[in-house]
Amino acid sequence: MSFCRRFSAVLPGIAALALAGAAHAVEPAAPVLPTYTAAYQPQTKDERGIWMEADEDERVLRDSVLLMRDEGLNAYVRQVLCREVGEDRCRSVRLYIVEVPQFNASMAPNGTMRVWTGLLLRVQNEAELASVLGHEFAHFELRHSLAGIKARRDAASLAAWIGVLSAGAANIGTGGAGNGSTLQLAVLGNYFKFSREQETAADLLGLQYMAKSPYDPAAASQIWQSIMAEADARSVARGLKPGREYKAAFFGTHPPSPERAAYLKAEADKLGKRGELRAQEYREAIRPFLPRLLAAQIRSNDFGGSEYLLQTLSATEGWTGDLLFARGELFRQRGNPRDLVTAADLFRDAIAKGYANPEAHRELGLSLMRGGQEADGKAALREYLKLKPDANDGNVIKMLVGS
Amino acid sequence: MMKNAFAAVCAVSLLSAGAASANSLVAPGAHSGVAKSSIATTSTGEWNKLSRTDGPGVEVWTRDGDSLNKVSFFGGIGGGLPIYRERNKKEAPLPKVTANMLLPDIPVLLESTYRSQYQVNKFSLESQDIVTIEGKQAIRFTYSFVRSDDEVERKGEAIGSIVKGKLFMVTYEAPAIYFFDKDLQDFRKMAETLKF
Ligand SMILES: [Zn+2]
Repeated sequence: MSFCRRFSAVLPGIAALALAGAAHAVEPAAPVLPTYTAAYQPQTKDERGIWMEADEDERVLRDSVLLMRDEGLNAYVRQVLCREVGEDRCRSVRLYIVEVPQFNASMAPNGTMRVWTGLLLRVQNEAELASVLGHEFAHFELRHSLAGIKARRDAASLAAWIGVLSAGAANIGTGGAGNGSTLQLAVLGNYFKFSREQETAADLLGLQYMAKSPYDPAAASQIWQSIMAEADARSVARGLKPGREYKAAFFGTHPPSPERAAYLKAEADKLGKRGELRAQEYREAIRPFLPRLLAAQIRSNDFGGSEYLLQTLSATEGWTGDLLFARGELFRQRGNPRDLVTAADLFRDAIAKGYANPEAHRELGLSLMRGGQEADGKAALREYLKLKPDANDGNVIKMLVGS
Repeated sequence: MMKNAFAAVCAVSLLSAGAASANSLVAPGAHSGVAKSSIATTSTGEWNKLSRTDGPGVEVWTRDGDSLNKVSFFGGIGGGLPIYRERNKKEAPLPKVTANMLLPDIPVLLESTYRSQYQVNKFSLESQDIVTIEGKQAIRFTYSFVRSDDEVERKGEAIGSIVKGKLFMVTYEAPAIYFFDKDLQDFRKMAETLKF
């Protein structure tokens, strides 16, 4: 509660919100942002400790093989953050894109922001990306990690969490003696369990950034709606009850909840501002990386969640070759007889739409052969060999073709 | 970075040495019934068979600890089954073997399993070729991957085949720095004498 006292002056209504949830009316969000202290330096012994740790983590992170180093992509994501929080605040951030297919972003107290590629795959437009990055920046500005240092979870919790989201990493260390979890937190980002009050405070300060930014504040609620819908689709496909993932707080640091989506929407409405979504700009910027992000998602053995994501992505710009190909892969990997038929249709669609990647012919051929359509399958595989004469699997495919 | 990664692996290997007492020695020579299956091979030099089992159809051999070098035998995993024991069947199921799998589907199954079971976010399939085991075709492939627990770049070489609707596979994996090359020739000799 000391937290609420400290910040209620800056963010009217937080205390009420945090205590009572969205059911109660709250004061309109303040139109002005709190004054931002640039180049903040740690003040206490505890704070200096977590900064030193964060600096050490950043050195490891900079060398990580999981970093997406593309300059254009990094500059673009940074630009979205800067538009959201303003140039002043943005200057204190060093942003890193880490190749992990789950939905997450985090910010360390020394100004290191980590954006997982799973987030980039899931947001539909710049405004949604901005709202998540803004929320993380708000935790940073409010220095929540210091308050949360005692509640910080260990690698085992993080593993359990991402394990649930993708698949069984709960006991990730298999280095012999079943020695628990040794996830590289330096790379993945430390895992703070923020209190509900802190979450609400970060949400509301995030909305204030949005109010000042060119972006549409409605996006803040929208992204949580899609994350919940995806979680439901995953559960249903696995024969589980929808709602279990987020109700059971499996989401770790940032549990989505219907309440959260609701109060974000209510607060955004109060701002009375309609901004830009910039969906088309977002699609263009992500397009070169989309096949890679999709491939990682498709191979995460999450049929329901992947199918939901593909349907959502196609709603923005229709079924592009990239999306059709990825969906074909999704069905081919599940591999039921009917899935193989669907997969073949999808690869054919992709090819008909001018999808130029020779792999489409390979995957079409393999789907057909596996489904028992030998002649058509071989024809597609021959086409693949023709289009990619130096394929690294040339001998394997030639064997299947029988030449 | 290299140094750090190396230290990390070595730290892990020390841990595994603690449990080594329960493991059993694999003497050089001919072995049959590997992974409680029809797999047979002839090894050179000594290996340790891990007492830990990662699944009912899996047997693991190592020299310095399985984070440093690891030969895994998958002995006839049937259709509808995952290659490893699922740690969380409900929330985190693993992909399953299907009886009509084609040879190029085998590396995909391995990648997809690793992404789930070991939080592998980087996996690249480097080469694929056809070899013959007792007159039956098998796929031989090489790959590299990074697990999120230690961020060490590992290389792998594997041979797999579908025999009567069941998956038979042998993989050799070790850190790319030093360890992979150290035992590669011994693995290849085993691979040459492999029977599924
Ligand atoms: Zn948060």
